[in-house]
Amino acid sequence: MNLLAWVPFVGPLPSFGAWWPLLLIPLAVGISMIYKALRVPSLDRYVREVFIMTLQIILAMVALTVVLILVVQVIVPIIPAD
Amino acid sequence: MATEPTNRFKPLAAILGWIIPGLGHVQIGERGRGALVFAGVAFLWVCGLLIGGIDSVDRTNDRLWFIAQAGSGPVAFVVDGLNSSLLKKGAVGELIDSPGPRSQRRGAPQQVSTLKSMAQANEYGTLYTALAGLMNIVALLDAGSRRTPNRRTREGSS
Repeated sequence: MNLLAWVPFVGPLPSFGAWWPLLLIPLAVGISMIYKALRVPSLDRYVREVFIMTLQIILAMVALTVVLILVVQVIVPIIPAD
Repeated sequence: MATEPTNRFKPLAAILGWIIPGLGHVQIGERGRGALVFAGVAFLWVCGLLIGGIDSVDRTNDRLWFIAQAGSGPVAFVVDGLNSSLLKKGAVGELIDSPGPRSQRRGAPQQVSTLKSMAQANEYGTLYTALAGLMNIVALLDAGSRRTPNRRTREGSS
């Protein structure tokens, strides 16, 4: 990754290669931060609730990925073409 | 007299929540929630712009996404303005010839900035900022409809 020509907030982040799925983590954190700020009855448990929801989103995405891999690489090749 | 919660929709809280995320909650007396909503929306915007750059917000080329991004308030219009004035006019980076989308290849090649974001960087930047806008719409609707103690009743009881 060449960061020399990167102008933060103006230009895009230089290529992150095969690591781009990890960008899902801050996305899940951000969504959880807003959602839980609205939903928790008391803000005392806010951080814990955000952590749990972030984990749930990521695990759901991983599960979806596994299902899609199974469908595309295992089930679809079994189906007869004609 | 006991304090009765009011159920009426509060348009002022919703409008304030659109202008500055979280301000609607502050207006109805929920300062902590307001600060957390602001922190969440700001976090998504900062991450989105770090990943995709200001080209993630483009009112002319990504109109549907922009509608979602505009849910965050004036910040979406400001970033779109910066995209137009800095990147599209070549004030930052260089303008280079590009064949453009297949549907527009008949005329002269269009010029694009060397700082234009593409592929996953653009997709993630757009997604982060659009989700910030959509979540802020949820937040401002919550601020407008949240049950709060009736001020008139509360003042009368004191």
